[in-house]
Amino acid sequence: MQEALAAMGSIVFDVNLLFLIFATTILGVIIGVLPGLGSTTGAALLLPFTLTMEPVHAITVLTTIYVSATFAGSITAILINTPGTSAAAATTFDGYPLAQRGEAGRALGIAVVASTIGGIFSVIVLCIAAPMLARVAYEFRPPEYFALTVFGLSMLASISAGGAVKNIIGGVFGVWLATIGAERVTGIERYTFGHYELYEGLAFVPVFIGLFAMSELLMQSKRLKDVAEAIGLKAVKLPTKEDYKKIWRTVLRSCGIGTFIGILPAEGATVASMIGYSEARRWSKNKEEFGKGSVEGIAGAEAANNAATGGAMVPTMVLGIPGSGTTAIILVGLMVHGLRPGPYLFTEQVDTVYQIFGAMLVANVMFLFMGLYAAKFFARISLIPTTLLWPIVFALCVIGAYSLNSSLLDIWIVMAFGVLGFFARRHGFAVAPIAVGLILGEMVETNLQNSLKMFDGEWWLIFTQPLAVVFLVLAFLGLCGPYLFQKLTNRG
Amino acid sequence: MELRLVTIPAIIAVFSVIIIGLSLQLDTSPPMIVGDSMQARSFPIFLMILNLMLCVILFLQLVKEKPAPVPLEGRETWGSMVLLLLFFALTITTDMFIAIPIVMFLLSYLWGERRFIIIALNSILTPVTLFFLFDKVLRIRFPRGIITNWYYG
Repeated sequence: MQEALAAMGSIVFDVNLLFLIFATTILGVIIGVLPGLGSTTGAALLLPFTLTMEPVHAITVLTTIYVSATFAGSITAILINTPGTSAAAATTFDGYPLAQRGEAGRALGIAVVASTIGGIFSVIVLCIAAPMLARVAYEFRPPEYFALTVFGLSMLASISAGGAVKNIIGGVFGVWLATIGAERVTGIERYTFGHYELYEGLAFVPVFIGLFAMSELLMQSKRLKDVAEAIGLKAVKLPTKEDYKKIWRTVLRSCGIGTFIGILPAEGATVASMIGYSEARRWSKNKEEFGKGSVEGIAGAEAANNAATGGAMVPTMVLGIPGSGTTAIILVGLMVHGLRPGPYLFTEQVDTVYQIFGAMLVANVMFLFMGLYAAKFFARISLIPTTLLWPIVFALCVIGAYSLNSSLLDIWIVMAFGVLGFFARRHGFAVAPIAVGLILGEMVETNLQNSLKMFDGEWWLIFTQPLAVVFLVLAFLGLCGPYLFQKLTNRG
Repeated sequence: MELRLVTIPAIIAVFSVIIIGLSLQLDTSPPMIVGDSMQARSFPIFLMILNLMLCVILFLQLVKEKPAPVPLEGRETWGSMVLLLLFFALTITTDMFIAIPIVMFLLSYLWGERRFIIIALNSILTPVTLFFLFDKVLRIRFPRGIITNWYYG
């Protein structure tokens, strides 16, 4: 524990790292306020820039983008009724009406404070829960890991965008993508069509850049006629004593909800903020204020979405199962820098892990000040014309994708997955399940193979392992629970 | 029944069947290598059978819910996709750093930007900055082409 605290504390004395967090927080807030970019796209675009960095610095860049962009989505949600990120969608319900009443500064102040509390709370939970979960995960063998990844995939059914069936189809497609390349045990090439670059499998980064950034570019071309009306902002106001009295219960509740939702594999800040908002409304004494500028509504959504960031890092770091789209990219970042996510990370790389956690804590404090003192400036950035911004994103996509392996094939992969992602989204399929499936694909197949070897080919013996059964039951409930619950409710 | 309700499940089903067909053509390994585990083809076939089952559920859902038709995109979207093809052709035949500014310029124009000096500056300065950033700081060598041949010598 002392070692962990010392590693976290060492951040304060690392001037380079502090400067990097500061610069990345600014960048993250800019990414967050630009509609369409968001933390996932931002992290995917920045990943190639981190290649030459030290592992801690590289992962810090990605996690800082994650927390600061998640918060910054609220700035445009409040001022122009356009959430910078999907996680800030619930903030528009009350943030914009409050801003229309001439209280934009108050709305932003509450959003900033609630986000910071949510973010810090979740990092503290991360510091406590991650090593505890790692100790449990040491005991995991292939059957447990197989069942866990199945559970992770089943959670895709409840991702906010897309329907359950569509999300599962996306997840299965992602898992299939992971089978491209040489099969691990036999070395037989699968679906490479003679491209030796595919022998090692599809590289994650170009697929992610294509799915998240390039497809978003094509989606943006549909929204060129959308006009955002900005509300004037004089200064951000810290919440008053009265405001704190009104929101403290909501913030605490949303911190818990957000962190818990974040910890669930594949669930992210968007789901957390929606539940945080609806729970704030459910428990509020002033329900009639919701939708008209309720401070509890803003606090509930914002505390929850930032609390989900730390929570989502728990399964990512401990189990190698991404807690959200952005953490899927952070996971790839960890792998690219030679840090294999899993319980052993907590014994072999304790310093690195806790420095990353420490950096997340610092980033949460930094965006508090940026939100309070520079929100007005960042809100103006959101008005950069789409016609100039997205061509820059295009250049970043192709150059960034090429830089990873110096391969033109990676650029073609970006373009192919960009078009595929666009058509998928056009027909109501979310792209995050494909990304999560791609990451979990190898884990599922490898652990299934190892389980079969362990049980001499008798697969049903997986069901004799208690922990594996627990995960499989949870997976079943995740998939069929909502349907069965609805049936029972209708019958009742 | 409307054709549009069948289209997406049908595309996914056809894709799954093609993958099953391709998987069946994969080599098999002798039992001494595979042991009690699976052949290389087994897992993808299992996934695609699962996808076919999900397709049936999706189809039933679509028939029941009858979602509103997706409106056809405007020329900006289709034009952007054509520009991706243009980027591919230009990169292969000339240079990636000729293709990027041209596509950036045309993309801005296609999306309605008419301030030519600003789009020209954006289309030239962005790739130039990124080129030097990746070349000097990250030490990435870009693919050979007209400009990079001249630069690298």
